[in-house]
Amino acid sequence: MGNSKFGTKNILPLVTLIIGLLFSSLGFFKYGFWDKNIGTLPGFFPTIIGILLIAVSALAFFQSLKEENNYSKLENWYPVFAVFLIIASTFVFGMYFSLAAFLIFWVRVYEKCSWKTTIITFLIMFVIVFGAFGTWLNIQFPKGLIFNAIF
Amino acid sequence: MKKLLLALLVASTMIFPIFANGETETEQASGPFVPQQNIEWYCTSSPGGGSDIFTRTIIDIINEEGLANGQNIVMQYKTDGAGEVGRNIVSNIKGDKANYTLLTFNSGDLMPMCKNTNLRFEDFQPIAHMAVDKHLIFIGENSRFSSFEDVIEALKNGEQIVLGGSKGDDIACYNALLKELGVESTQFAYIAHDGSGAAITAMLGNHIDLLISKPASASQYVEAKRLTPILALSTSRFPGNLGVAPTLSELGYNDVESPNWRSVIGPKNMSPEAVQFWSDVLGKVSESDKWNDEYIELKKLVPDYMDTETYSAYGAKFQADYLKTIGKDK
Amino acid sequence: MDNLQLLLTGFISVLTLQNVLVTMLGALLGLLVGAMPGIGSLAGVALLLPLTYKFNPTTAIIMLGSLYYSNMYGGSFSAILLNIPGDSPAVMTAIDGYPMATKKNRPGQALYTSNISSFTGGLIGMCILTFMGPALAELGLKFGPAEMTALLLVAMTSIGWLVGSNPTKGIVLTAVGILIASMGMDTLTGSPRFEFGSIYLLGGVPFIPFVIGTVGFAQVMKLVDEKDKKIEANLTQKLTIKGSMISLHEFKRLIFPALRSGFLGTFVGVLPGAGATTGAFLGYATQKAFKSEEELGTGAIEGIAACESANNAAAAGSFAPLLALGIPGSGTGAVLLGGLMMWGLNPGPLLFTNQPEFCWSLIASLFLANIITLIIALGIIPFLVKILTVDVKLMIPCITVVCIIGSYSSTNSLYGVIIMVISGMFGYIFERNGYSTAPMLLSFVLAPLLESNMRKSFIISHGSIDIFFQNPISLVLILILFTIIATPIVRGIIGVVKNHNKN
Repeated sequence: MGNSKFGTKNILPLVTLIIGLLFSSLGFFKYGFWDKNIGTLPGFFPTIIGILLIAVSALAFFQSLKEENNYSKLENWYPVFAVFLIIASTFVFGMYFSLAAFLIFWVRVYEKCSWKTTIITFLIMFVIVFGAFGTWLNIQFPKGLIFNAIF
Repeated sequence: MKKLLLALLVASTMIFPIFANGETETEQASGPFVPQQNIEWYCTSSPGGGSDIFTRTIIDIINEEGLANGQNIVMQYKTDGAGEVGRNIVSNIKGDKANYTLLTFNSGDLMPMCKNTNLRFEDFQPIAHMAVDKHLIFIGENSRFSSFEDVIEALKNGEQIVLGGSKGDDIACYNALLKELGVESTQFAYIAHDGSGAAITAMLGNHIDLLISKPASASQYVEAKRLTPILALSTSRFPGNLGVAPTLSELGYNDVESPNWRSVIGPKNMSPEAVQFWSDVLGKVSESDKWNDEYIELKKLVPDYMDTETYSAYGAKFQADYLKTIGKDK
Repeated sequence: MDNLQLLLTGFISVLTLQNVLVTMLGALLGLLVGAMPGIGSLAGVALLLPLTYKFNPTTAIIMLGSLYYSNMYGGSFSAILLNIPGDSPAVMTAIDGYPMATKKNRPGQALYTSNISSFTGGLIGMCILTFMGPALAELGLKFGPAEMTALLLVAMTSIGWLVGSNPTKGIVLTAVGILIASMGMDTLTGSPRFEFGSIYLLGGVPFIPFVIGTVGFAQVMKLVDEKDKKIEANLTQKLTIKGSMISLHEFKRLIFPALRSGFLGTFVGVLPGAGATTGAFLGYATQKAFKSEEELGTGAIEGIAACESANNAAAAGSFAPLLALGIPGSGTGAVLLGGLMMWGLNPGPLLFTNQPEFCWSLIASLFLANIITLIIALGIIPFLVKILTVDVKLMIPCITVVCIIGSYSSTNSLYGVIIMVISGMFGYIFERNGYSTAPMLLSFVLAPLLESNMRKSFIISHGSIDIFFQNPISLVLILILFTIIATPIVRGIIGVVKNHNKN
């Protein structure tokens, strides 16, 4: 599985090329390149690296035209969606609840494990999250709108 | 049945942490403010730094002397955006929470805030000003200068000199010095380091000509004779082994100083009663032995308690002066 | 042998029951904190500092010292087992540690190697500290901006070696890493740079969430592919300490890289601005120049040994400027400094003269902490290895949670989590298309140092490039730099000429 048509492998070097262009132009025009008294200005280094990036990205782009594609499955992206959902949910329900809900949902519903596995996994993670980070190291996790409103 | 019990167990462990922080509110009667819940104290620089130690010392004293009605004070480190995010959050806090939120605030925070964001001193509620720190200029062991008069001579002869220091208030002091001496930064250049430690390292290695720093960081090097103070950036000489350095007025110029102050502020929406309460608490802290003997002495600061009114006026003037120097006054 | 005598007196004061217990406690806490991604030694030491207020200064600093030190051990655990570095120095350990643990199915041996190397590196660092501490600190002072620029340029070229099979792609990501690192507050001018109007980006991209995302979360996404693979009986290997031990031959393989990196790491730890992360990286890069039995990056013992030894040595080395001159070499050092001042001690050039018992007790306690941490770390290997037997299906959500918690904790806000997940996405896409992300992480760390030192050099020299050639140290380093760059070019030319002559 894999073909040489246009895909992510080709887009990547184009993206980095644009990044290089962005930084080098901002660097040169906005932040300044060289001052005869103090030498390099804030834009000096980024501009040089940006130009290097443009050159190398172009090279990589032409290389990529000969390469095979390596597609990922949608499933690989599930953790990403999960994290975004957790972030959104944290605003409303707080982090503890969102993480707990995520764990239980993923293990039980998505992976279809038994309740026993789910509970054990949950309790172990609970000890780590609440016990180690929350209580011992005293990290204040967000409580979310709902709990903030109640308490 | 088993499943139900398990589910209840899980649900109860989930709710538990919420109760672990904070207590339920009780009605606030109008009258003097007495804290009834947890207090959140924001610090916009990372743990271990000067602001952190400042804040923790005050919290310790408050706890020891029982000044906060036995309520817990929780430190919130918010260093995102070089501290701007934390300040933004505090300025926007409304409602009752505003009475339970405090923020450590220095002149070194005010300056980048004015320079890089739209927040201003008026967006907060000043509570109390606690202490002040001033600067000195030092030379190293093998310096080609032996006094500040030599430096002035060298500048008049067109020599180029490099001054090293930390960021923030050290830079403001340097700019004021430039103006007073009438030299350009092209001749008298400044290198900003990440902290006083880095600047002192550069001086000890003789990579820079002069060092600007505060007593707390530099005094042990003076004692070890690795650094010598040659100018006091203040209206009077410093005590102790720093007293050998003259002020600018002794050399025929106007005095230059750029005090680095440390204070406590709160959200704009804090109630007047709460403001009064916290201002009094901080006043008591500033009079305590622990504050004076262990913190001020150690850090070689100048204790300078200002209550809310005095500080509000002081802070506003400081900001106005600063905005003028960066050309942002409207 | 004055110092040795002083060291012995230090040992005497350290070997009280209370101090030994406190060292053990510090070691254990440090291991745990170090293993947790997102909490590096800086946060760990700062958060646990209040615990030490109860004790007298000597006991307190002993506890903090052993905490800081054992952090370096702990960071490699999650790096080896989960490919999530517990702190920044462990990024290099993951490169060889994780493949050795999973692909080659030898997690116990990987952990064992890491612990022994850490011990060796730390021991070397401490010995150097004992006998040459103040002299080393003075040497470090001689490294001003020009010297550091030259040194870092040499270091940057060695990223080239890490780049692996496809240099073009490697350079692309190296450059991207440098540009990402340039976002935020520019210290030298006090103005923001490339923050694109975002208040969060004013502070730049925070490193820990960036690493957790690029390496750890990308790993989670990769794990989805392995969900259905059966975990074979790597349980055939006995989960005992004995079962995790390495053979004598392997021990011989690790000892030279460990010794080499120990010396290198100690020295790097002394330099201003360079810390354990830089040390680990340079240790690994140097190893590339030597022969390793297995190829580096596939799970070679030499790779783990080189970077683990260097990072512990650098941690020990960073105590030299701290104790001899009162200059913290890193953020964690600054916290230790603050702690010292709170206990009424004044770190500075006079500390050794005024408070010798304290200094030597601290140094003695580091030796003790090294031994105790090693014993504990080896002892828990069987438990740690068990983590790998957990079903991949469960690992995915659990590691996701750990990534979120870790990146949240390091910035105390959801900003860290957002950075983490975005870095993870890009890390995954890049890796999938043949780009190795390690160079990006390393250039992210080194580039700001290089840039700020270069700019400071130009300010000092008022725009002239002579400064790099006037100072002896930087001149030597520049010559080394030219040699490194020129060698492959010259070789190429010679090759072409030879071919030409053949015809």
